[in-house]
Amino acid sequence: MRGRRTVGWVFAALAAAALGVSLVVLIVLIAITALQAGPITSMRAVSGAGISLSLRSLDIPGTRDSLAYATVAQVEAGSPAAGLGMSRGDALIEVGGTGVDRPSRAWDTVGAAPGGREVTLPVAWMPRSEVTLGALRATSVQGAPRVVLSSPSESAKAGALRAGDVLLAVGGIPIVGTRQAWEALVVAARTQGTPIELSLERDGELQVLRWDPTVRAELRFVRDPLRAWWTFLTTLNEPRYPERAGLLPAFAGSVYVVLVMGAVAFPLGIAGAVYLEEYAPSNVLTRVIEVLVANLAGMPSAVVGIIGLEVFARALGAGRSILAGGFTLSILILPMMIVAVREALRAVPQTLREAALAVGATRWETVRHHVLPYALPGILTGTILSFSRALGEAAPLLLLGAFLFVTYVPQGLGDSFTVVPLQIFEWATRPQDGFATVAAAAIVVLVALLLVLNAVAIILRNRFQRRWSG
Amino acid sequence: MNLIPRSLSRASRGRSRRERLATAGLATAGLLAVVLTFTIIALFVHGSIPFVRTVPLREFLGGTRWAPLHEPASYGILPLVGATVVTTGIALAVAVPLGLLSAVFLSTYAPSSVRRVFKPALELLAGIPTVVYGFFALRFVTPLLQSLIPVLGFWNGLSAGLVMGIMIVPYMASLSEDVLYAVPRSLWEGAYALGATRFETVIRVVIPAALSGIGAAFILAMTRAVGETMIVALAAGRTPTWPPDPTQPLLTLTTAIVNIATGDHEATAFIWSAVFAIGLLLFLTTLVLNTVSYLVIQRFRQRYA
Repeated sequence: MRGRRTVGWVFAALAAAALGVSLVVLIVLIAITALQAGPITSMRAVSGAGISLSLRSLDIPGTRDSLAYATVAQVEAGSPAAGLGMSRGDALIEVGGTGVDRPSRAWDTVGAAPGGREVTLPVAWMPRSEVTLGALRATSVQGAPRVVLSSPSESAKAGALRAGDVLLAVGGIPIVGTRQAWEALVVAARTQGTPIELSLERDGELQVLRWDPTVRAELRFVRDPLRAWWTFLTTLNEPRYPERAGLLPAFAGSVYVVLVMGAVAFPLGIAGAVYLEEYAPSNVLTRVIEVLVANLAGMPSAVVGIIGLEVFARALGAGRSILAGGFTLSILILPMMIVAVREALRAVPQTLREAALAVGATRWETVRHHVLPYALPGILTGTILSFSRALGEAAPLLLLGAFLFVTYVPQGLGDSFTVVPLQIFEWATRPQDGFATVAAAAIVVLVALLLVLNAVAIILRNRFQRRWSG
Repeated sequence: MNLIPRSLSRASRGRSRRERLATAGLATAGLLAVVLTFTIIALFVHGSIPFVRTVPLREFLGGTRWAPLHEPASYGILPLVGATVVTTGIALAVAVPLGLLSAVFLSTYAPSSVRRVFKPALELLAGIPTVVYGFFALRFVTPLLQSLIPVLGFWNGLSAGLVMGIMIVPYMASLSEDVLYAVPRSLWEGAYALGATRFETVIRVVIPAALSGIGAAFILAMTRAVGETMIVALAAGRTPTWPPDPTQPLLTLTTAIVNIATGDHEATAFIWSAVFAIGLLLFLTTLVLNTVSYLVIQRFRQRYA
């Protein structure tokens, strides 16, 4: 007897553990993804100061090593960074005393700096090559490259460089090219600090100059999570820089596509369900239809995508537009709608129909005036659940060739578009720093939206279920 | 058909015309599923004709090299089928035990208050988009697994399969719970009356009685895994390999379609017929699996209705 009990308890514990583990794993999934979206605040703080960064790297001549550095890819006009004289093509060397070897280092440093919402940090940057060095000319002597300073800039003159100097090495890194000379300055300034040691040949003699070509200033960063998320949601997408990524085009695309889908799938789904539930005679054809609906509901979304591409985009000439996207998704959602609406209709008491028929209503009048209004909450629940499924669906639209790089808000049904899940896919596949963060941020937005929609649907259903049964 | 005596309906001409119109309209919508299915089959068959004409069926179904864009092209589908089988197998190995045990817990042991909370929670979690799971697999599960299995590739079938399994758990749990719940109370009570414990009741009476339904739930979970696209596209990579190795990148049937469809080929290119051939194979597979499980569940419901 005791043995039987024990086995029973062990099994019960195992079953409870299975449910617990599944739920915990799923909740951890959402939590981890949400945490990954955290750096968006500091990314936006840097881009808010006006700087967009790009990762570059310099191969050290004669070795297999390469060193990474971050260039300023864009400076927003009128921003604090532009006010300091930073411009496109400069390289960021230090933020808050930390060497910046890649964009994420700058974001993380700004994020981790002690202080409140606003923080002012010292920054050091190397102005672009023309400003720092001036004009360079590459020649070669017996096959060995030589870089000659043909016309020094103001900054170079201030550093005691002269026209005709041959640049040899900086901080031990040989100089072999005109562009590479500046890159070597950048990398040396970051790894060895300033002033840097520049070896050059002047009038046939070797000389070593100690020189600090970097510019230093104080830059104010605003770390505001609310503002960061709000700008992320409401700005157009800048596809090259994750710190300027915006969800607005994808969000608008999702809304438009779901509206088109709803206009098709909502009436057709209800009509199909009403036919099957209220009109269809119980015969072989009806059974076949039921099997086919179940099948269509379980069709792989990649297959739906091929249909959308071939029928709507190509045969009907809608191209890769919102219209084609909405129609494609409606194929995916229609069977789900039919199943859900049928369930809602089945919950309508038979007595209601009989009463309507008994007072002389036709079948259509019974459905239109009594059955449908009664089933409306159930229909709405099913509709919300199906639509939220469509909101999260990426595969069919990926096949349809919805553009992954849409940077504007679509204006009409014929425009190309992207949707939130596709935008997440695109960001998630980018290897550069920061795209994982914006992908996670978009996931947080999407999952929050879907959870709210689904919760509303489930609460609605439970409420009306109780009313009917009670 | 017509339940209303003719003498009772006034102004009957207008009403009956409206009635006929409504019936016709609704029947058309009802028949849409049939039209859609046959359109799809016709579309896929028509689209794959050039493929079937050019590539011998033996090479397609028996070849072990998938290289549609190389010279010479090779269209062996086995690497894709193998990859799909591997990821589906891993997913089911996770989803079936966890889902089934969760369902048993909910239907047998959980007090109704717990059940009222957890059932909707499972439904909520089933609504998380697959691209989210793909991100999770790529950014979290793969690095975690790499610290345990050093040879694991950045893209691999193992991580994709495991996460796909986690994705299917709520679905499997929900389906099996419905099935277990449909087993009549009289069977449970009969077993209890004979002195069986809850465990014995579940294992010896309820699960055997619900076996066909559980089998159908298993098949539905399988079609989900076979048709899953975004998780494998993100986490499993895009390299066709034979024999399929779960620690290395894999190309499943669905990702092969994505690969070609996103590859910017001319609409008339031969490669599209390969998409249709794979699509047809996927569609027929899921058609058979879905039909079987649908019929099994129908019969199961009727038996205990």
